This record gives sequence, C-alpha cells and structure tokens, in this order.
Amino acid sequence: MKPISKAISRASCLLSASMFSLYSLAGSFDEHPYELSASFKTPMDTLAGLTDWGQGINYVYAITTIIVGIVFLAVSIPLIYAIRRFRVSDEEFATLPLPKQVHGNVILEFTWTIIPVILLLFIAVPTWQIIFRQPEKHQIPPGSMRIEVIGHQWWWEFRYPSLGITTANELHLPEKTPVYFELSSVDVIHSFWIPQFGGKLDVMPGKGAENYLFLTTPSLQHPEQNGGEYYQGQCAELCGLSHALMRFEAVVHEKAEFERWAAVFHNPPVVQTALEKKGELVFMQCMSCHTISKTPSEDIEKQMLAMDPPVHKAGPNLTDFGSRRMLAAGTRTNTAQNFHDWVDNPPSIKPGSRMVPLGLSKADIEAVAAYLRYSTAKTY
Amino acid sequence: MAKCLPTTGVISWITTVDHKRIGIMYGVTAFLFLLCGGIEALLMRTQLAIPNNTLVTAGTFNSLMTMHGTTMIFLFVMPLSAAFFNFLTPLMIGAPDVAFPRMNALSYWIFLFGGLLLNFSFAVRLAPDGGWFNYANLTGKVFSPSHAIDFWVLGIQILGLASLIAAINFLVTILNMRCKGMTLLKMPIFIWTTLVTQVLLILALPVITVALVMMTFDRSFGTGFFDPAGGGQVIMWQHFFWIFGHPEVYILILPAMGIVSEILPTFSRKPLFGYTVMVYSSCAIGFLGFAVWAHHMFTTGLGPWAQALFSAATMLIAVPTGVKIFNWISTLWGGQIRFTTAMLFAMSFIAMFTFGGLSGVMHSSPPIDSQHQDTYFVVAHFHYVLYGGAVMALFGGIFYWFPKVFGYYMHEGLGKAQFWLYMLGFNLTFFPMHFLGMQGMPRRVFTYSGDQGWSLWNLVATSGSYITALGGVVFVINIVYTLITKKNKAPADCWDGRTLEWSLSSPPPEYNFAVDPEVKHLDDWWHQKYTHDGRRITPRYQPDVDPATKHLPHPSFWPMIVAAGLTIIAIGFLVDGIGHYISVGGVVVTLLAVYGWVFEEA
Repeated sequence: MKPISKAISRASCLLSASMFSLYSLAGSFDEHPYELSASFKTPMDTLAGLTDWGQGINYVYAITTIIVGIVFLAVSIPLIYAIRRFRVSDEEFATLPLPKQVHGNVILEFTWTIIPVILLLFIAVPTWQIIFRQPEKHQIPPGSMRIEVIGHQWWWEFRYPSLGITTANELHLPEKTPVYFELSSVDVIHSFWIPQFGGKLDVMPGKGAENYLFLTTPSLQHPEQNGGEYYQGQCAELCGLSHALMRFEAVVHEKAEFERWAAVFHNPPVVQTALEKKGELVFMQCMSCHTISKTPSEDIEKQMLAMDPPVHKAGPNLTDFGSRRMLAAGTRTNTAQNFHDWVDNPPSIKPGSRMVPLGLSKADIEAVAAYLRYSTAKTY
Repeated sequence: MAKCLPTTGVISWITTVDHKRIGIMYGVTAFLFLLCGGIEALLMRTQLAIPNNTLVTAGTFNSLMTMHGTTMIFLFVMPLSAAFFNFLTPLMIGAPDVAFPRMNALSYWIFLFGGLLLNFSFAVRLAPDGGWFNYANLTGKVFSPSHAIDFWVLGIQILGLASLIAAINFLVTILNMRCKGMTLLKMPIFIWTTLVTQVLLILALPVITVALVMMTFDRSFGTGFFDPAGGGQVIMWQHFFWIFGHPEVYILILPAMGIVSEILPTFSRKPLFGYTVMVYSSCAIGFLGFAVWAHHMFTTGLGPWAQALFSAATMLIAVPTGVKIFNWISTLWGGQIRFTTAMLFAMSFIAMFTFGGLSGVMHSSPPIDSQHQDTYFVVAHFHYVLYGGAVMALFGGIFYWFPKVFGYYMHEGLGKAQFWLYMLGFNLTFFPMHFLGMQGMPRRVFTYSGDQGWSLWNLVATSGSYITALGGVVFVINIVYTLITKKNKAPADCWDGRTLEWSLSSPPPEYNFAVDPEVKHLDDWWHQKYTHDGRRITPRYQPDVDPATKHLPHPSFWPMIVAAGLTIIAIGFLVDGIGHYISVGGVVVTLLAVYGWVFEEA
C-alpha cells in the first residue's frame, strides 16, 4: 500500500504545481478565447476595477493579497520545514530518547500575537479609508444622475426619473458621469452587481429599505467605436428558481450618444410592414404586463401606478426591445429563433417564469416578433 | 422495567444510556448523513461540470444546494463532533459517565429523528430549497407556498433542541465531574475546546430557536415578522440567523482544533506548545465569535460605521487563530514526528485551515467582500476552513481514537491512500474555485453559459470531487476490513498517549474507571509514564473489575419515545387538514413519555 500512497502524493504535488500554469489556458477552453496574459478578462471579471469604486476595492485588495501572501509563507515554510526536518521512521523512533519537552515560550508567543495585529492594521486602515470614501445617501454629490434599479423575479427594471425613461435588462449609461443607483425590489432580495465596475449591493424589498450605490461611470475603452460598450451584470443573491438566469447588461455610451439614445426613447414604435401591423394587434394581449412608451400600453401602466397601493406591471418595459442585444434578462441573444422559443414557452427557458405559455399560434408569434424586433429598434 | 432490559443486541443499543455507545451511534449516524450530503455534492458538481448542463432542474439544484449545506453542518460535522464529545469527555476527565445519561440518549434520538425528518422531504418531493441560510422573504409563504421550507424550519428546530440538550449536559459534566486534582487548567485541551463549544451552543442556539418560531408563525399563522408586506423586515432574519450562524462556524471548528491539539503532541512526542495560551485563544475565538455576525451582511447596506466596526472585529479573530497556528507548528518543532494517518490528517489541517483562514482575512474587508460575497471565492474559502480544516481534523480523530473505541488499529496503508486521495481531490475541487470567484461566478447558480470563461475550472473542480468520493470509498473499505478481519489488536495505550483515556483497556469497560483516577499534572498519563529526565517508568493501567460491583445508570426506552413525540408534533405542521390532531397526538406521546421517564428507576 505504501508505494501507492507515495505515488498519489507525488501526483498531487505535481498537479498543484501545474495548477497555475493550467490557469492561463482557461480562456482558450471556452467559446470566446481570451489572451494568455489576460485570462481573468472574463465578462464578469472582478479585478477590472473600471470605476472609482472598483479602483478603491482593487487598492485594498492588492494590499491585502500581499500581506496575506507574506503570512502564508511565514506559516507554510516553517511548517513544511518542521515536518521534513523532524520526521522519524518507526525504527528510529523505537531507539530515540525523548525529545526536549518544551512547554512554551512567552517571548515567541507574544511576538506572534503582536505581529499579526500590526499586519492587520495595514489591511484595516485602507479598508476604512475606502468604506468612508463611499458616500452615504445624504452625501451623494448634487448633480449626480439618479437611476432607480428595481429587482423583479427574475429581471431588472431601470428607471431614469430625470429623463422620464423606463427600460429593462439593459442599463444605458453615459461615460465618466457620477450616477447613483437607488436599489429596491418588488418581491424578494436580489443583489445588483456589475463585477467590472465594482462590488455588489443588495436590492431589498420593503419601504425604506432602499440601498444607494454611487459611482462614476467608466470612460470608453475604444472611443472610436459607436454603439456603446457592454458589461455583464448578474443577480448575486439567491432569489428563487431562476436566480442563475437573472442577468443584465450595462452599456456605456459616449455622452452625446447617450443623449441621442435617451431622446429616441420617446419616439413611438415605427410600424411599417403588414406583419408588424399584425404584431401590434397581437401585442394588445401583452399590455397588462408589458409597456412600450407612446402606445396605449403606457396609459395602462400609468393607471396601474396611480392606484393605491401602486401596481407594477409584471413584465419588463419593451420600448427599445428591437435594439437590445439580449432577451430573457441577458440570458439569450436577441435572435428570431430565441424570441420564438421564449414566447412559445418561457418557463422552458427560465424555470418559474411568471410569463406563461400564451398559446399563441406560430403566425402570431412571428407577427409579434416582427413588431417587437423591428418596430421598436431605435437608431441613435 | 429498566432492570430486565438486555445488555446486548439491538434493544440494548436503542435503550442504552452509556456515553460510549451513544458516541458510536452519533458517529455512525453522522457518516450515514455524510453519504447523503456527499451524493448531493456530487450531483451538483456533475451538473456544473459543463455549461448549460441539464442533468438536474433549477428546482432540484436549489434543493441539493440547500440540503448539502444543511446536512454537512447539522447532520455531519456537528454530530460527528458530538460523537467525540460523547465518547471522550468522561474518559478524558476521569468520570464514570456524563452528568445526565438519559438526557444524552434523548439528544441523540432527537438528532436522529430530526435528520430523518429533514431528509424525508426528498421522498415526498418537498426538499427545502431556500439555501441553508433560508433568507426571508424568499422563504415566506408568498414565494415558497409549499411545505418544503417548513421541513427545513422544523427540522432545524428539532436538531437545535438536540444540540442544546447535549450542550447543557456536557457543560455540567465538564464543570462538575472532573476527577480529583483536575483543575480547569489541567484539563486536556480537547476538553477545553469542547467546553467553549458548549458555551457557544448554549448562547447561540436560543437565537435561531426564537427566529425559527417567528418564521413558523409567519408561515403557518400569517404573522409578518419578516414580511415587508406585513410591516416586517427581511433584514431582521439575517441578523437573527447570523448571530447564531457565525458562532456556529466556531462550533464546527473548535472541536476540530481540540482534536488536532491532541494528535500533534502525541505523534511529535512533545507537549502542546503554549497550552495556556491555546486555552485563552479558544476562549477569545469563542467570545469574538459573537461580535462579527454582520460580516456575512456587508453587502446588505449596513452603512459605513457598522462595516468598519464589524470588519475590525472580524480581523481581530485572526489574532488568536494565528497564535494557535504558530503554536501547533512549534509543537512539531524539535519533536519526533511519526507519519501515522492520524498525524497526516492533523498536519494537513494546519495547512488547509491556514489557507482558508487567510482567504477569510481577505473578505473581512468590506470593499473586497463586496466583490467576493456570494461568489465561488467564498465557497472556496469556507470549504478550506470547514472541509480542509474541520473534516480533515475529524478524520484524523477517527484514525487516532478508533483503536480506543473498537480495540483494533485501522489499516494504515488504506488510511494513507484515503488521506492522499482526499488531499488531491479536495484541492483540485476547491482551489480552482478561487479563480472562479475572481472571474465572477456567483454561488447557487444551477447553470452557466459557455461564454463566461468558467468552463475549465468547473470541470477541474468536478473531477476533484470524484477523487474525493473515491477517498470516501477507501475509508469505508478500511472500516469494514478492520472490523471484519480484526487483525491488528490495539493495546490500552496504543499511541503512547498523554491523556487519561489511554490508561483504560481498548475498548474501555462499560464502567470506565475501576479506580477513580487522581491527577497531579496536565497530561497526567504522560507523567505517569515518563520521569522528569525522560526515563520510561511503568504506569498503573486501570484494572478490570466485575461490572456488577459498579453502579451504572439503567437503560431506558423513554428518551427515544420522548424524541419520537417531539418529532410527531413537528410532523403535524407539515400535514394539511388533520395536522393539528397529529401535533396534539405528539404532545400526548411526549407528556406520557416524560411521565414514564420521571418515575422510572434511574
């Protein structure tokens, strides 16, 4: 049995040593390969630190990693040394006299009580700096853009009160702008997280439970390209069956481009073909849950919100659905096939979805697809 | 009635009040539940091996995730620790039994029935799916209308009762039943960590008990403690849960620390380095453990002051923990280290626990935590602490005390093969999860898409989990092989041990000590074997005497019937329509059994 365990121990050492080198291969394993040097550059990369908030986190993170690394070496080197140096075989053990019976050493024990305290201060002070740098609700700089983020099982609603815009699952932002997100939930606890921007903050249900996340949006990485830069977000608190499928995208625009996006948002859908016209009629069935601005569905929403207590529509606002990259809360690309699959049987794509199979005929789905995917496409 | 009960066979086990037998029952039951929790883990890992996998549904995954956490904590690590408490406490402090032997049996039966009730939920397809933390209001009646959450709430309520009864029992035992001469600072270190653990249980469990009652009221009687629609607050549940939940972490790790602190000196042939400081560190960890609960809630919007204070308190825990780690290394230093399986597990505990502790220091900082919270980085962290830490130590304890419990050494070769399979499998599973967390993979997701860059490390993690499972199979083979062949008989003091249990024959007689021991030193048994200048002298082993001359508590059916009655009360809450009658029936059974118990000759 001994050679077997020895072989396994050797194999485990080799494997853990090659772990780091293997890591660099992670990207090439996936559908979207990543550069070797940037294997953390995944859509949900937590180390990107693109905003001031994210940079603050990375600052503490770097210091902490170094200190923790030092401590790890300070523990593992003596541990490994002691185990190797003082190991005795069974034969030796039978003949050796008792080793020196050491019961303790006050100076040593005092030392390794004090040193960690000092090291921890080096983590604690930057931590507190960053914590107190992050403004509370009453400290948010005036002139910051307010965006209401409302969590739903399992999609995101985004409202821009200053612009009179409501949208869903695609969070459009102007670059280099101070914004604060007012987070609230209509059902259970969610957590609002765009890893490349910075940390997460929980989205709590209940009056007075709103959380406020302040940050300055990142600058464009490739300013020469139009159409905005996409960052993935995802709910980070277990919120029921389709928690894993509650994603969204943040889109950062050049300031002028963002203003154009906000302006065309107020245009009604452009219904051109007969199929789109038919789709507009089919969409009448959808209006109790979905809104498209400048259509009758918006009036329904206004009436619902005027009730006491206000009633939120159960489904996302679809005003700019045609120009969204993804559907079903960032889980599928917005293609005709995926649209059909979704409308035909939403729970098959998103378990527990509140949108149930509506029993629409294939022709009806085709029509409403034309209406939603083309009439609502916004050019900006 | 009690006197005519048999002393061998199934009935003798059901009615036993012997702490050693109850300890064995705790251990065996814990491993049966480990099988459940392990299968749940393997299913989850298989589902996540590749992106967009459809092996299990979202609902099943949430149940597996919930039951894996609940099972491993409440039905494996806690009862396995309880197995050690039960078997070892009286032997280590020189007592004939625990203070309340029938209460001891009661706590075992409540634990067993509670665990069975929880797992019965799978049979009726109502396995809890709200996570082991069961956050309101997702677990309220509106969002979880079925009885699945009720299974969890009532199951944990029952299991908490078992732990609370046991905690009181061991606290009283340790404080009142130590043999002559064993002052508090002459107790074995394992007894110290046991004592601190019982204090934590007694202080932490009532919090979750009250919170569970409130949640039961919310779900069964329409109150709104945790329901915003009813004027309640969801954040309340999180505070209640973590005021219990964080001490719970130390309830899981402290017994493991005690076990390691017994194994390392024995196989280094040196006393524990800095015993007194180790005792104070354990107490400090236990005390600080109550002041850090909100670090589980850094992303809930606590505000900067709460974040700053709770992060400071959390970092402070690293200090006594660090002291322990360096004292363990110093225990090894200059010793004569024998590579027994038990020692391998104990030494790996130091390494793995340190690693998990250091990643814990990282997210004691709220800004860092805001990125790590609810990602696989945290999954990696606490598995390093509780699996690489607590579970590895518990396995070390099993290899160390198995000869004492059953009278035979376990097979060392198989033991080492298991150890290396565990080390390899464990690190292969959980080390890559640090990467996954940094790549932003959230916890508790039943699937992920292939464009996230998470595929490779998930596959590696899954392969590691199968290697660990193989290690588990080797362990079972080892136990069966050892108990069937009975080849390697263990003498009383089979490892050249330091504490009183090694003065007893292996296995110890039912009455424990024929002659009441009297101790003069810490590690008194060692001092009976070695003089100050290191010369070996012959110690006085405990003699065997006729058991009839010893008064032992009588076996009893009543503890099991009381436990059954309490479980029937809980079942009533899970049945619609006639549920009330079932609960009332349970109350009647419980009261009758308590009546029988009280008037039974002890």
